[in-house]
Amino acid sequence: MADRTRGEFLSLTSVGLGAMIGGVIGVPATAYMLAPVTKEVTFTPVFLGKMSAFPSEANDPNKFKPTPATYIEDPSNPATSPGLAFVHNTGKSSTDWHSEDAMFVVFSNRCMHLGCPIAANSSGFACPCHGGQYDTNGERTAGPPIRSLDRFQWEIKNGDELWITQRWSTDIYGGQVRYYPVKMPGQPTHTPGPSWIPDVLYPHVTYTHGPVPGPVPLPPAPKV
Amino acid sequence: MPLPIPTPDPKQVVLQTEDWIEYRTGFPTLVRKFLFRKVPPTGWFHTLGSSLLTVFILQAVTGSLLAMTYDPSPNGAYQSIRYITDQQSLGWLLRGMHKWGASMMVILLFLHMARVFFYGAYKYPRELTWLTGSLIFILTMMMGLTGYLLVWDERAYWASVVAVNINGTAPVLGPFISKFLLAGPVFGAQTISRFYALHMLLIPGAIGALIFVHMWLVVKLGVTPWPTRPLPEPEPSAIPAAHRAMPETVAGE
Repeated sequence: MADRTRGEFLSLTSVGLGAMIGGVIGVPATAYMLAPVTKEVTFTPVFLGKMSAFPSEANDPNKFKPTPATYIEDPSNPATSPGLAFVHNTGKSSTDWHSEDAMFVVFSNRCMHLGCPIAANSSGFACPCHGGQYDTNGERTAGPPIRSLDRFQWEIKNGDELWITQRWSTDIYGGQVRYYPVKMPGQPTHTPGPSWIPDVLYPHVTYTHGPVPGPVPLPPAPKV
Repeated sequence: MPLPIPTPDPKQVVLQTEDWIEYRTGFPTLVRKFLFRKVPPTGWFHTLGSSLLTVFILQAVTGSLLAMTYDPSPNGAYQSIRYITDQQSLGWLLRGMHKWGASMMVILLFLHMARVFFYGAYKYPRELTWLTGSLIFILTMMMGLTGYLLVWDERAYWASVVAVNINGTAPVLGPFISKFLLAGPVFGAQTISRFYALHMLLIPGAIGALIFVHMWLVVKLGVTPWPTRPLPEPEPSAIPAAHRAMPETVAGE
């Protein structure tokens, strides 16, 4: 320090001050731009419709015909988050969404390839964008989708109102439907090898969520 | 009797004005050096770069004019596009120029890059020219991506959903890139604002700066001749100072 000239000292001071001013301006600007990457949203429960609006398909076992229901996924952004859920009435009686005998299975219409809206048909679901196909359990059967369709956790309120209360990503393997925190389309929930791999490669940072529900045995697919 | 006021010679007025600007900015000399520099024999393929610059300026002008009416909000974006197209005087023409200009810019960019590639113009000493051109190419693609959403119709929305999700499929950084583009975890009102700001300010600014560097390098290093023709002797100013100082170069000279 003692050997520094006045010029060197002033140069160092200028550089230091410049760095400080740059930091004062740059850090908030960067944080402002990048803040959304760590943000999570909470799924707001949505009223889908009266139970009577979703008739059972049990009377016609050869026909798979889930009922579409529109909803707003994020009430604070109604213009940008309209969604469509497909409500499949299984003809069973349990009002516990997680039961094997659950009355409804509520599918998301978001294709698990790249997020296009799928359409229901008699053999399951199909995506118009790139040809993804799903069976009546929402399991991928053909095309580029990487996993099964997302499902909604639901509950019956006020006696006869069907509400969806949480979105879950799913994967179907080993004869079971397995639930995962929501990942975006194109991102795997389950890969060969240790279970932590998908979470490291694709951190699930979209929705806040409670305990992840356990797997549920896959019901036999209805004849189509 | 008052002395007659001499009538100014128009030519002298122009020259004096130029001198006035020259003395204070040096700009006329700069323009003269840029426009009247020596170049090797060229052909139509060498016009692609300047065509690209013209289209970029056209896009900037038409984009600025469209921005005066466009409303970057979920409830207003599509309505304002409809207004520009159907009701505003010559709005259809302005929007059409911007839309087709965007496609033309991408086509010209590919042709220009192909010309550079086949002429070997990316080689020493023009590596940085190629690099800045490549960055302009990437940013032009980003202009296409961010501009596509602004129309805010079904096709724009779902195409952008697909594009964002494609970004999201990249491991590790993918989910964060998606959320950065969306300005949040899901598609929201801020998404269109972010795309608009990127499309209107950030990316064009970056492209403009890179075009400046790109052209400065083109002027400094000269135009690449047709590869089959013998190379002319490079002028000393075209050889980087660091290279001139290397012993083998000096020995070679």
